Amino acid sequence: MADPYPPGQPNAAAERVIRIQDLHLSFGSNHVIRGFSLDLHRGENVMVLGRSGSGKSVLIKCIVRLLRPDSGRIEVLGQDMLALDQDALDHLRVKIGFLFQSSALYDSMTVQENLEFPLRRHWIATTPGEADALVGEVLAAVGLSETRNLYPSELSGGMKRRIGLARTLILKPEIVLYDEPTTGLDPITGKEIVELILDLQRRYNTSSIIISHDLHVAKLAANRIAVLHGGRNYLEGTYEELRRSEDELMKRFFVFM
Amino acid sequence: MAVKGGSGFRSALTEVGETAQFTARFFRNAFHPRFEWRELIRQCTVNGALTFPLVGITAFIMGLVLTVQSRPTLARFGAESMLPAMVAISMVREIAPVITALICAGKIGSSMGAELGSMRVTEQIDAMEVSGTNPFRYLAVTRIWSTILMLPVLVVLADGISIWASWIGVNLRDTVSWELFYRQVFDSLEYSDLIPAFIKSFFFGLAIGVVGCYKGFTTKKGTEGVGRSAHSAVVTASLLIFILDLLVVQITDLLGFT
Repeated sequence: MADPYPPGQPNAAAERVIRIQDLHLSFGSNHVIRGFSLDLHRGENVMVLGRSGSGKSVLIKCIVRLLRPDSGRIEVLGQDMLALDQDALDHLRVKIGFLFQSSALYDSMTVQENLEFPLRRHWIATTPGEADALVGEVLAAVGLSETRNLYPSELSGGMKRRIGLARTLILKPEIVLYDEPTTGLDPITGKEIVELILDLQRRYNTSSIIISHDLHVAKLAANRIAVLHGGRNYLEGTYEELRRSEDELMKRFFVFM
Repeated sequence: MAVKGGSGFRSALTEVGETAQFTARFFRNAFHPRFEWRELIRQCTVNGALTFPLVGITAFIMGLVLTVQSRPTLARFGAESMLPAMVAISMVREIAPVITALICAGKIGSSMGAELGSMRVTEQIDAMEVSGTNPFRYLAVTRIWSTILMLPVLVVLADGISIWASWIGVNLRDTVSWELFYRQVFDSLEYSDLIPAFIKSFFFGLAIGVVGCYKGFTTKKGTEGVGRSAHSAVVTASLLIFILDLLVVQITDLLGFT
């Protein structure tokens, strides 16, 4: 299957699935997000690049309303995230996948139970056979069919990340948010995860925001990169545009590339 | 020092306020149409059935010890025949509810604080939330309901076991038939003994569930925080049990349940 939307070719004409406008968030006197704005279009991979502690994870948690911003607007699939009541929010969240940096697998459940949990909760699979088939499909997609009966503590870091990805995709979300998908992994496993992300994006036709400080991820996966610096969208462009930029911060970022 | 004491007092008040808000949130969600029946049954099994052996052993020992230790004093006044009534009223009105609640605060409260705390710091609660499952309804409401429902059941079982143990205690020295002992116990017990004890056990269950879940949900600072949540869930719930006991005794006294 041909790339619907290969990296490096932003598609501004496509439907907008996320719009973040003038977002502000403080923790006490620490003003972490200071007027951040960003758009994500259908089929697009946007990477939010920033230094450690720049507020990348805070930003991504605001998008799914795990954190509530002080001001600003977040629109997801045309709905104002900050104005939704709890039931409408839960309903919308099913369409947004979230891969945690720690994978956040339920450690008291096996891999099979981890994957069945969201299916059971949303009545997507009503019989054990249906659930089994869907679990088998996503496990095959991430290449870990043999791990069904293992517990998260029996998996390696890379396997946990893959199962986390499978759990995210089992609800067939339209948007996937990745929080540092390769952090803590060796370069080979990291590259495999990025390839898996791209493969799954093609297969499930998702739009993604990837939070990372890893320029290899940016090069391989991002159609567009937004640099989060000083709490705002400091600079935006393709990998090549940012690499050639004369901006001092960008030169420091690309010093080893 | 004054500043430190002041901030400690302020944070204690903040925690009381937050616990009250958490309790109010429980009541707002307690009768939600999308109730988690399956998880409630699982929690009732875990919190009820698995705590029962500990409660049963403790109730047996309490009933036996109370009987053996009370006998000499009653014998001095020639009132040994009052032993079944004395043990039954003591156990049913006060000892069984409070001891059962304290055991549950230790076992269930600490396990809730640690389990939910660990889920909080490893982002499992966040993962549940972003997948469109309300973690408060799924994790907290079901756990709190399970302690509210299971505590009275455990208290009634503890009552029964302690009275049976008391009969064994009496028979260590004398020979009294179970029928006679049983009749003496139930002749002495009135509804005014049973009802306040039963009602307060619901409140004890509410306190254990709310405190355990609140401590777990608000865990911070990694694994150290998980330990602190488990520990403070036990301490706070135990203290609340004594405060509630005092309040219920005063209220039932005013209502004439004496």
